[in-house]
Amino acid sequence: MWIERKVLAQEIPAAAALDTRQLCEVLAALGFPVDGVAALEGTEALDVDITANRGDAMSHRGIARELAAKLQQPLAPIATGTVSEGAALVPVRLEAEACPIYATAVLALGEGITPEAVQSFLRALEASPKRLPAVDASNELLLRYGHPTHAFDADAIHGAVTVRWAKAAETLVTLDGVTRTLTERDLVIADEAGPIALAGVMGGDRTKVTEATRRVLLESAWFEPKVVRATARRHSLHTDASHRFGRGADPAMARVARDLLVARLQAWCQAKLIGAWTSGAVPAPAAPVNLDLTLLARVAGEAVPLEAAQEALARLGCTVTVAGDRLCVAPPTWRHDLAIAEDLAEEVLRLRGYEHIPSVLPPMEGPPEHLAPAYLLRQRVARRLAQLGFHQTVTYGFISPEADALFAPPDNPAAGRTLANPLGYEYSVLRASLLPSLKATAEQNLRQGSRQIKLFELAPTYRSTPAGPREQMALAAVWGGVLGGEDYLSPARAVLEADLAGLARDLDLPGLPTVHRLAEGLFGFEVELDALPRPQDRIIPVFRPFSRFPSVERDLSLLVDLGQSYADLHQAMAAALPAESLLELRCVDVFRHKSLPEGQQAWLLRMRFQAERTLVGDEVDGWVSAALAAAESLGAKLRA
Amino acid sequence: MDQLLPPEIVEAGQTFPAALAACGDLDALLRLKGAFVGREASHATRLMELLKTAPKEQKRELGAAINGLKQQWEEGLKVRQAELEAAKRKLGALAASWDPALPPPQPPRGALHPLNRLMDRLVDVFRPMGFHVEEGPEVETEAHNFDGLNIPEDHPAKASSDTFYLAAHPELLLRTHTSPVQVRTLLRVAPDLAARGGIRFLAPGRVYRKDEIDPTHSPMFHQVEGMLVGHGIGMQHLKGTLEYALRALFGPDTEIRLRPSYFPFVEPGCEVDVSCPLCGAKGCRVCKGSGWVEILGAGLIHPNVLTYAGIDPHEWSGWAFGMGVERMAMMLSQTPDLRLFFENDQRFLKAMGGLD
Ligand SMILES: [Zn+2]
Repeated sequence: MWIERKVLAQEIPAAAALDTRQLCEVLAALGFPVDGVAALEGTEALDVDITANRGDAMSHRGIARELAAKLQQPLAPIATGTVSEGAALVPVRLEAEACPIYATAVLALGEGITPEAVQSFLRALEASPKRLPAVDASNELLLRYGHPTHAFDADAIHGAVTVRWAKAAETLVTLDGVTRTLTERDLVIADEAGPIALAGVMGGDRTKVTEATRRVLLESAWFEPKVVRATARRHSLHTDASHRFGRGADPAMARVARDLLVARLQAWCQAKLIGAWTSGAVPAPAAPVNLDLTLLARVAGEAVPLEAAQEALARLGCTVTVAGDRLCVAPPTWRHDLAIAEDLAEEVLRLRGYEHIPSVLPPMEGPPEHLAPAYLLRQRVARRLAQLGFHQTVTYGFISPEADALFAPPDNPAAGRTLANPLGYEYSVLRASLLPSLKATAEQNLRQGSRQIKLFELAPTYRSTPAGPREQMALAAVWGGVLGGEDYLSPARAVLEADLAGLARDLDLPGLPTVHRLAEGLFGFEVELDALPRPQDRIIPVFRPFSRFPSVERDLSLLVDLGQSYADLHQAMAAALPAESLLELRCVDVFRHKSLPEGQQAWLLRMRFQAERTLVGDEVDGWVSAALAAAESLGAKLRA
Repeated sequence: MDQLLPPEIVEAGQTFPAALAACGDLDALLRLKGAFVGREASHATRLMELLKTAPKEQKRELGAAINGLKQQWEEGLKVRQAELEAAKRKLGALAASWDPALPPPQPPRGALHPLNRLMDRLVDVFRPMGFHVEEGPEVETEAHNFDGLNIPEDHPAKASSDTFYLAAHPELLLRTHTSPVQVRTLLRVAPDLAARGGIRFLAPGRVYRKDEIDPTHSPMFHQVEGMLVGHGIGMQHLKGTLEYALRALFGPDTEIRLRPSYFPFVEPGCEVDVSCPLCGAKGCRVCKGSGWVEILGAGLIHPNVLTYAGIDPHEWSGWAFGMGVERMAMMLSQTPDLRLFFENDQRFLKAMGGLD
């Protein structure tokens, strides 16, 4: 909220002596940081940030009260004229508990406009003056004292005024010209012809004050914050009045604000008071709150003398009585946020200044807990992938239905993962897979000229279940573009599916995940993180003896059909070899060339043997022959 | 003397030094060697035959001349061979030599995302004080996201204009902060809180709010929540912990400042400023000249939050804080646009991320 310095100084003269920086510091220390300062003609306005719990501070008077308490300086008295109340000119009936007090007055307006000083005050606060004294005075009062009031055209009101719940489907055209269809939970001011205002939110068009208005009926009431908040939200109608009533106005200000409004109209346009009266009464205050010194000392980090706490709370307007080692505190009528002892402790600390809070490390009361295995696993996998040259991405958890459909399995329908109120269609489904996002990110990078793209993401994916989307932490990696060719030793080649398979093996994935061809030369896979082996409990594995005899290596070059399954061949050959001596059997080269018989390729199979003795040539030759025979049984031939 | 020798040999002898010099490699030298001193059909063998048939009185003189010639040739060949061999060795050495200025093969280098890196660092900072990591789902219930945190039934954050809800499950939403992890964790540990000796943890994670995407807003972002519950915990413990952590993060000269503020789930509440780590609190663009930057919101856990979880607020108390990871990352890196963190341009990731 904008606070104009000259008007602030009218409420607390001591504030005039502070320079802007000092004032901002004091306000920040009180919990009201200043977001900006606007230089105006002959003055300044501060953009003060007021938290939602402090409706009482949303005015010059409110901020002045805070400063007065902190600086221990007096507030200027509120200059109310003397309005003597009489009999009600119009019956005012309060039919809902949500409006316990309704102060009003009827005045005949005379000649005159809003004084220039008030107009410029309103302009400084970005509230454009209407030049109608009744309207401008109400706005000025709100900004200055924080109490919303309203002026009706008294001659437009038919009969008695009632504060009541709206009837279902009743309508009201508000001041902004919008026709509002009301519900039974909207509190309205009504005359005998229907609603004339949404209580605490906005007046009605039918009874609004215009240039032609001769007599006004003033309203200065108090409305239940919850009711005002609900109505403002229901009608998306957030006004200066609804903000203040919604956060809790001061019921004791109802009569005072009415008097101030009357005095302004009398002064600005020679208005004549015809009558003033009040229906209802200021509601009974909430029960006092106890603050015991033990709690205060615990919160503050050190003992605070009873008198100091009592004095601080009294400065904030609380009525404080001492009962042993506790204070019994009745908050002032403008504070609705002091409900428990901790609230009061905060107030004592706030006035002392948070800078006085000591700094202490909390003692350990129990042993520290371990980091969860799932968390450690993610850390380990992320670091390994980064070491292997992959870049971790962070992409949105929601994607478009089309992108989602690319990799969502049929048993995971998008309907159970769709947002009711997405930012847009393209962000409407909680993704079943990370691959659509990684594919889009990789393609974008390749378009921008990346030679090689290596990305991974660790994030939850979602599965539709009757109970709602179930999250499963997933790992996805994509790899594409050109590998190598960027130095004099590494030849260039395209990234291939086999590279992803190698990556999967490096990560110790159990088995090979499906490697997707995401685009030309771009591949990826995705696994549930639970599929990855957990870090071993054992720091160092159990020792397993290994042979100190030399190993023997033999190669077999085989001609096989292009469609030959390597797994089958490997299995057949391995079965023919002595398991206890076979160290390794692997294909170390694949040769495909037009010089080979059509439809065939050459595989170079390497076997390594080792035993607890020196292997002799004949023995190994026999094994190799057996392996060859096994390969031949599958149609392979020894390559000449 | 020369008149004793055949003229073609005399001529060959005269061209020998030039021929020797013209030998560019060992093969050429070998051929020259064969022509002059080879065992068959060389100048040397022809001279030896000449010597055999020479008149007896000439033999002595001719012999001396032939020997002189042969010696001269052999000497020349030997020297040249040594030269050529040295040159070859030198080339060989050069061929095997390594120019360290040539760009070497680069081991691959990837990076953790800067936001993850920052969250990991925060965990590292709090770990020595006995904090572990708690996590919770991103799809949450209203109860965990709002009710358990003392957020009133009619709080504006609950509106569909602020919070994403699931179409098929109106009671489910995308968590708007990491605070529901507080609720889940407290509910879980409440039964044996005394045996544990309280609890202290961090909850890093992704959260969602219905904000349009622009340079300072994102519908998804990250928070790190911290919480500690123990006996007799007050604002001094919050201050002490944050002072330790923020000094570990930003350097030992870092100062912190608490200012009163309001969050429904804490009482008292505060904002925490840190002396500007970029200018050493002298005043710069990032701290808008003030020397302070706002870094997190915190406070003592509201008794209603403890009560909701089944923890007696008369016995236990604690503090909690919540920190915006993107905000801190942008402040530290002075990245001008929040969207860069979610675009995942490999150049940005390479420059901003790392492996630690
Ligand atoms: Zn700075």
